[in-house]
Amino acid sequence: MNKFLGNKTAILLFILPALLLYSVMVFYPIVQTFFRSLYEWDGLTEGTFIWFDNYKRLFEDRLFFTSVYNGLIFALIITVTQIGIGTVLAFAVADMKFKGRRILRIAFFIPVVLSITVVCQLWLSIYNADYGLINRVFDMLGLSYRQDWLSSSKTAIIAIAFVNAWQYMGYHFALLLAGVKSVPEQYMEAARIDGATKLQAIWKINIPMMAETYKFCLVFAITGGLNAFANMFIMTSGGPGTSTYTLTYLMYRSAFRVGEFGYGSAAAAILVLECLLATLIINRFIARERLTY
Amino acid sequence: MTWIMRMRKSRPGLPIFLWLYALISVYPLLWMIFYSFKNNDEIFVTNPFGPPATLRFENYVAAWSNYDVPVYFMNSLLVAIVTVLGALLLAVMFSYAAARLRWRFSKLAHTYILIGMFIPIQVIMIPLAILVRDLNLANTYGALMVPYIAFNISFASMVFYGFFRSIPIEMEESACIDGASIYRTFFSIMLPIIKPALATMVIFIFLNSWNEFTMAVILITKESLKTLPLGLLFFQGQFTTDWGAMGAAMTIASLPTVLIYVLFSEQVENALTVGSAVKG
Repeated sequence: MNKFLGNKTAILLFILPALLLYSVMVFYPIVQTFFRSLYEWDGLTEGTFIWFDNYKRLFEDRLFFTSVYNGLIFALIITVTQIGIGTVLAFAVADMKFKGRRILRIAFFIPVVLSITVVCQLWLSIYNADYGLINRVFDMLGLSYRQDWLSSSKTAIIAIAFVNAWQYMGYHFALLLAGVKSVPEQYMEAARIDGATKLQAIWKINIPMMAETYKFCLVFAITGGLNAFANMFIMTSGGPGTSTYTLTYLMYRSAFRVGEFGYGSAAAAILVLECLLATLIINRFIARERLTY
Repeated sequence: MTWIMRMRKSRPGLPIFLWLYALISVYPLLWMIFYSFKNNDEIFVTNPFGPPATLRFENYVAAWSNYDVPVYFMNSLLVAIVTVLGALLLAVMFSYAAARLRWRFSKLAHTYILIGMFIPIQVIMIPLAILVRDLNLANTYGALMVPYIAFNISFASMVFYGFFRSIPIEMEESACIDGASIYRTFFSIMLPIIKPALATMVIFIFLNSWNEFTMAVILITKESLKTLPLGLLFFQGQFTTDWGAMGAAMTIASLPTVLIYVLFSEQVENALTVGSAVKG
């Protein structure tokens, strides 16, 4: 049996293609990102080693702070709306007795499977100042909120964040619904006998028992928000001005528009650290052990 | 039960909220489909919200024949299919060796592959773009297929690894006693057992590569190689006056994934949320 499962040729044949491709296309670039962040590099020549000058420059760059700030705003908006609405919807659907459960689930989830380009183009038309859905609805209701949502540097980042929140709410809903269902019925039953209201039971029993699910949702939403790129690339190209820049956008522009690959790599390295920090904080503040009663 | 019924009676707001959110979630899409059948007059003036008065299929004909939508569509399909096949094959072979075969560094290799799951693509875009250029892959199908396959290995391996670990060792023992080779065992016995996991990953990888944007926008500039997410990007500029054709192109681009979802909704939700068990 050991000979059968220890067949050297077979092992090499099975593992080498995956290991090789992964090492070259995924692992090597991770190392390169950190390494190249210490260089002044145009992507063509060898580049010059400049220690931490790229990082020094980042911390003096106003655009860097705009980018970090926008990443945080974006993460905050999508986290609150996706997890907040997702929670309410998941609990409501879980103890739904009326018809239409399947239709509701499909309705909530369908934007998740759309291409981000389609979603962003669609919302460009929805936000359109003259013919967009939102301004039309305001007009119809006789309200004077009509405005150009994406050309004001104050509202643009918020408007973009809501597009992402809209698209991926269904993802969090599906995760949370699975979480709600994994909590055994008898706990709720017991709480009911002890005289707890439904809301108390959810708050004190269900939600703490879903800590693992919430942890994943938080990590997913927050790192997703910090990484945001496609939404602003398609909808505003970082504008108006530089008001919707994020770290990834800064990296993209530095490397692929201006040709400063080292500077872009430094921005990418900061992004990794930011995501790592967020993940650590979430893990620190949400119980590591699964609650059992 | 009666308790829940009572809650329901006292709180009619909840079902209303559910249906209201369903409307918010779906109406923008319906609106897009509606205007893909309308002319500008109807979109902008006479009937901006409702279903089209007549179905103007000429918008679809225009999107399909006047512009490069068929090219983008075929590119997306080709890239997605090759990515699915390539990533599945590599991941299933690797995870079988890591989970079942006996060699010294199997645990280490498995962990090494898993690192890839925690790295956002954005972070390695710069070295990846340089690499694709240096390997002479720039502006070929390989520029997308090779990185897409590499990127899906980590996640698929993790899923398959779990499945392979749960199979009793007697399966291989009896195959060995019956004189099957290790390859025969792998292809005729192990693969059929993990079919459900394979199906899940087909859906997952297909949807991901069909919709992938960030890598595509950086690695592909040639018009004839663009996938749908890229091709549609430039529609807004081209068609600022022709919303109907734009809507039609976007509807065509969404059709495959929406169809897959509606037909296999349970599996798609499971496939896309399968990572939650481990990733956090």
